Amino acid sequence: MSDRLRPKDFARGIGVIFAREINAYVDTPIAYIYASVFLILSCSTFMNAFFLKGALDMAPYFDLLPYFLILFIPAITMRAWAEEYSQHTIELLMTMPLISIQIVIGKYLSALVFYLTALLGTSPIVLMLLFLGDPDLGLIFSSYLGALCLGSFFLSFGLFASGLTRNQIVAYVIAVLLGFVFVLSGHEKVVEILDGLAPAYHIGNLLYESLSVVPHYSAFTRGIIALPAVLYFFFLSAFFLWMNNRSLKRDRE
Amino acid sequence: MIQVTDVAKWYGSIRAVENISFSLAPGEIVGFVGPNGAGKSTVLKMLATYLLPTSGKITIDGLDAVSHPLSIRRKIGYLSGDTPLYQAMRVDKFLRFCGKARGLSGNVLKKNLAWVVDICGLSPHLYKRIDQCSTGFRQRIGVGAALIHDPPILLLDEPTHGFDPLQVLAFRDLIQSLSENRIILFSSHIIPEVSTLSDRLLIIHQGNLLADGRIDNLAEKTGQPRDLEAIFIHLVRQEN
Repeated sequence: MSDRLRPKDFARGIGVIFAREINAYVDTPIAYIYASVFLILSCSTFMNAFFLKGALDMAPYFDLLPYFLILFIPAITMRAWAEEYSQHTIELLMTMPLISIQIVIGKYLSALVFYLTALLGTSPIVLMLLFLGDPDLGLIFSSYLGALCLGSFFLSFGLFASGLTRNQIVAYVIAVLLGFVFVLSGHEKVVEILDGLAPAYHIGNLLYESLSVVPHYSAFTRGIIALPAVLYFFFLSAFFLWMNNRSLKRDRE
Repeated sequence: MIQVTDVAKWYGSIRAVENISFSLAPGEIVGFVGPNGAGKSTVLKMLATYLLPTSGKITIDGLDAVSHPLSIRRKIGYLSGDTPLYQAMRVDKFLRFCGKARGLSGNVLKKNLAWVVDICGLSPHLYKRIDQCSTGFRQRIGVGAALIHDPPILLLDEPTHGFDPLQVLAFRDLIQSLSENRIILFSSHIIPEVSTLSDRLLIIHQGNLLADGRIDNLAEKTGQPRDLEAIFIHLVRQEN
């Protein structure tokens, strides 16, 4: 009997885990609370800026989105693995005829669907802008695509953080810290401060160009769907999912 | 057929088990006895492919547990000592999830689910959330989940934990009814329970396998009466 999985069986295993995880989100009230808080905070901040600025675009929303995601995404992902470890269901999962990457992908996709559902909750803003005038739909589309890429990436390191600990709060804190590193390293003031610390090495600029999500994400919010930005998010997400898978394998040793 | 040869497991610098060797054949009900922390769960976890042995070899039906974990998992029903269940799930949904994850679908899943519900007596609370069930009932759900794919090998870690005396009796009957052509290895630190349930015993203490055999043979070897408790105490004292 071979241990190789046929593509059909590989996808089937992911589907089983995906379905269980989606049900877990639906069954727990805490998920609705997170999504509601995220929507209320992000939309109310947008409405405030919208009335002050008086422009028919969603820039105020998408500009602040990375900061909201720093706090929101870890709340989605923190239970993903930490709960499996604390309830010992990890043993149940890891003794099923599934390979660990199927479980990782299943969990990741379910978290992504939950995030997208929360993001879809902002669609009334688009409808309102359409009702009020003629917003740039191309710009809105590319910004949503950026939000999807950004969220996908945050979810990947959120899952990785959750796999490092049995404690959900610790998982949340690790993911928030990682989020801050990836977002704040693109903040103008932080870049200036870091550059000022060691002017010869331009650490701030180096981090901005190589590590930060900001330049890649802001390309989308300016209406540019650039391949390097898409690849940046894709490869970094894949890297963290791979690390998550590695940490699961390490636990068997 | 399960073949365990010179298996050791170290957690960093801590030795969990060492020099563990035994083989199990279909039709055997084997009790794995030892005090808490003796290494029973570690051995079962390695057999279930959850843990990798640090050294030694485990083969199941000729397949190596390290290089063929998926094939082995298809043959094994495993109940961990912690009874891992998704507490927020309904009992029927949980069993269906376990079946699907093990590749069952359609009529086979339906048939196996009905079988497991019947033999484990799960019908009274089938549509309840798991966290609303009693400890003993949860244990039965765990046994049901381990059996859902009708595996030829059953590994049960402290399966009667939380059972009342009547449930222990029912469990004994269940195990007897399942034993034909199946390997059943279960662990327990409750000696009378093991002696009534199993044909053969593996006695483990401080990570070492002290004895392997039928209770009559062990009594003969140790010069003790045919009483598992006396044999166990004799072997442990000898080891210490």
